[in-house]
Amino acid sequence: MGKTILIVDDSFSMRQTVGIALKGAGYDVVEAADGKDALTKLDGRKYNLIISDVNMPNMDGISFVKAAKLLPNYKFTPIIMLTTEGDETKKQEGKAAGVRAWVLKPFQPPVLLDAVSKLVMP
Amino acid sequence: MDMDMARDALVQESRELLAAMENALLEIETDGVSSEAINAIFRAAHTIKGSAGLFAFDRIVSFTHIVESVLDRVRTGKVQIDDAMLSLLLNCGDYIGALVDAIQNRTEDTEPDADRRAVLEKLLGAHLEPAPAVAEPTASSLATTAPDHGPGTEHIEGSGGVDSDNWHLSLRFSPDVLRNGLDPLSFLHYLTSLGRIVYLHTVVDTLPALSQMDAETGYLGFEIDFESDADRAKIESVFDFVREDSQIRILPPHSKIDEYIALIALMPEPGRLGDILVRGGALTEVELAQALDQQHDQQIGQKPLGAMLVEQQVVPEAVVSAALNRQKQSEDKKAHEQKFIKVEVSKLDQLIDLVGELVIAGAGANLIANRKKDAQFEEAAQSISVLVEHIRDAALTLRMVPIGEVFQRFPRVVRDISRELGKEIELIVTGAETELDKSMVEKLADPLMHIVRNSMDHGIEGTEARVLAGKSPTGMLRLNAYHESGSIVIEVSDDGRGLNRERILAKAIERGLVTPEQILSDNDIFRLIFEAGFSTAEQVTNLSGRGVGMDVVKKNIESLRGEVEILSKEGQGTTTRIRLPLTLAIIDGFQVMVNDEVFVIPLDLVIECVDLAGHDARHNIVKLRGEPLPFVRLRELFELPSLEQSRESLVVVQFGQQRAGLVVDRLLGEFQAVIKPLGSLFSGIRSISGSTILGDGRVALILDVPHLVQQTTQQQSLAQSGKSAGFLAHNKTVDL
Amino acid sequence: MPITEQDRNGQLLLQLEGGLTIFQASELKDQLLQALSRTGNQIELDLSGVDELDTAGVQLLLALKQEAANQQKSVSYSHHSPTVLAAIDLLNLAATLGDPLLIPNAR
Repeated sequence: MGKTILIVDDSFSMRQTVGIALKGAGYDVVEAADGKDALTKLDGRKYNLIISDVNMPNMDGISFVKAAKLLPNYKFTPIIMLTTEGDETKKQEGKAAGVRAWVLKPFQPPVLLDAVSKLVMP
Repeated sequence: MDMDMARDALVQESRELLAAMENALLEIETDGVSSEAINAIFRAAHTIKGSAGLFAFDRIVSFTHIVESVLDRVRTGKVQIDDAMLSLLLNCGDYIGALVDAIQNRTEDTEPDADRRAVLEKLLGAHLEPAPAVAEPTASSLATTAPDHGPGTEHIEGSGGVDSDNWHLSLRFSPDVLRNGLDPLSFLHYLTSLGRIVYLHTVVDTLPALSQMDAETGYLGFEIDFESDADRAKIESVFDFVREDSQIRILPPHSKIDEYIALIALMPEPGRLGDILVRGGALTEVELAQALDQQHDQQIGQKPLGAMLVEQQVVPEAVVSAALNRQKQSEDKKAHEQKFIKVEVSKLDQLIDLVGELVIAGAGANLIANRKKDAQFEEAAQSISVLVEHIRDAALTLRMVPIGEVFQRFPRVVRDISRELGKEIELIVTGAETELDKSMVEKLADPLMHIVRNSMDHGIEGTEARVLAGKSPTGMLRLNAYHESGSIVIEVSDDGRGLNRERILAKAIERGLVTPEQILSDNDIFRLIFEAGFSTAEQVTNLSGRGVGMDVVKKNIESLRGEVEILSKEGQGTTTRIRLPLTLAIIDGFQVMVNDEVFVIPLDLVIECVDLAGHDARHNIVKLRGEPLPFVRLRELFELPSLEQSRESLVVVQFGQQRAGLVVDRLLGEFQAVIKPLGSLFSGIRSISGSTILGDGRVALILDVPHLVQQTTQQQSLAQSGKSAGFLAHNKTVDL
Repeated sequence: MPITEQDRNGQLLLQLEGGLTIFQASELKDQLLQALSRTGNQIELDLSGVDELDTAGVQLLLALKQEAANQQKSVSYSHHSPTVLAAIDLLNLAATLGDPLLIPNAR
């Protein structure tokens, strides 16, 4: 059964590069450009994991996670948030929203893949 | 291959972000600080750092990291944004740009300018907190907020290590673990990638009966004996995401028995755990007995070893829910942004190519339909043509981008140059949304830069001179763009001193470009500054005025099938006007025939067609409704043999404000021409701008109307002033 | 998680289909409790259709066994799908659950 990952990041190149890495590891990837866009992708299809940036226009990662946690189909979906060192406040907010997995930017694809494989069983 | 694409995307995106960053900085300079602008700047740096990190481009990551740290302090109000800070950040943006260039050129391993970087880092460092002034360039690392709490083995004294060669892992998760989207099963699965699970005991002690159970709460714990060569950090990292809320204890092989004692002490039922440990082989029976004994002893003494085993309590959830409604800022503007998708230019080009072929094939079908004289076929072919035309238009608009892409770099340029020159200059940009072909946007940047620099350097006077001339002390520079009859017009205007007609003329005579006897219009004279090696600046500055520039500008614009002209009023200002076709790919053409040859004239430049026979035409001037109109016979121009019986037609064309006539043998009508560039072989021919393939497969030449109009009208003024020798070099192709 | 139910000589045969995860756990818990209260003494749960199983699912299976024991009834699991077998194997639960497992040859 294919595993699908939703990646939410306003950076096109980030999505592309991470997407290539994830696809290379056998995952299906759905991309969203910000929180708002990502919410429209939470349309009932199953995601085994959501990877979201924090700092994005329109709707940031924290608000997106809070919204996702309200949706029955996604409230328990594992989430990896991509943060930067300076994001301590954001991280607290994320934690309050139920996020436990963080990957610190900048990272290289293997680091993210490693985190992904802890959360998604093959 | 894929990664190359990703790399290109990184370069492109970084450039866009840097442009956005620069805009935001300039916005702050003019409109004051806004949180939105600061966030935009921060996000640009943040995103560039993140993307570059994916590729381990450490130079850009480490530099951007410092910039980001400073920006973070700006964002949180710890550092003020003043003029110096703006300049510093602009400079940093430039340097990041240089680092991005290096990535594009695949030279990211060399520092573009180490000295400059050092200076910038020092300046940035001054705004950071003294202690960890410059953070390490963290290439990659996993984040957990939990401190390293692993029990150290070294400082435990008193008893020997156990026999077991295996690690022992004792895992108790937070009740919320499952609700947080974390599945212990999945961590255990990952663990097996680091070694072999020798023994695993699932602890179900806290699992209630089904009726009592909350199905979303995690109840299970695990005791694991694990054989692995991995180091402690690696094994601990498996549980990074759960470590904070859970009790994860990891005992290395041959751990001191004390540690097992501590472990057992933490369990609600020590006896049971002892059994488990023995069953898994972590402890022998003897060791267990010893452990239980010692535990008993220690309870009398001071607080035992439990201290080194970090008791993790669930961090109280931060009370930060107020920020929920904060995100409504400027949604309209940004909602607009996300309606775009990025498409590779090469894909667009391929589409345009195909549409081009479709247009040609369509013309072929039309031709056959007409020959067959089959009304139904003709009708069908006709409606297909109309659709093809729509597809063509739609396809071409895909390549259209707003000229704002070029304009947006000028606020910065004007700011920097005006400071350098000590002039006060205000830039006004209008028509930035006017669209033109993407390929032209790229080629337009340099010429515009030359013109703008010229205007700032020579056009706009110094403050004193302006005040003396009764002008406002602040000079005005305007960039404007608009569409006009199938062209895009781009204007650079200033309210400076204007061109000095006499001085240009004097210089031109001195350089031998014109003779003193020639009578020249203002236009003719202004046009002289586009001649190679012409410069009127009395003092050469380091920006412009070396006489390189304007001739290059003209050449660049002409290579885009465009035209540049200068309008100027002495003392009031100068406008440089560039006129370009909207696209380079396909035009609506008007076919004419000279002898057996078909030529195509861009339709939007055709004003009317008249029969030449009925008009008074002499010396290449025809009287049309009382007005003299210069014309050229294409047959003569291209040295084609004349036809015995030809009824010549006059096609009146216009470019800019000037009109001219082209005399042809036959008019064939409208036709969509897919422009194929001429090979370099033909690059010397000035009257032809390209070729196209007709529906029947023949090749037709596309006339360079702007050029023809210009040379025809100049010919006229020459003829009138009685001079037959061309004064401008490119007149030589006309043989009258 | 769709459950299909069959009655076979007083023994309730349930078949689980799809995911047995935290997303279905709450609802499934109620359904299983109901099934347990309805049956005379025995439930057989066919797990051949379970294509996803997480810790929440595992503890549900464990708790159902305990609950049945408390009620002097019995629950057995059968036709374990590969996904289920893998989890039981990893967590070393075969003995705890006590159901005969068909270990595929391929392993």
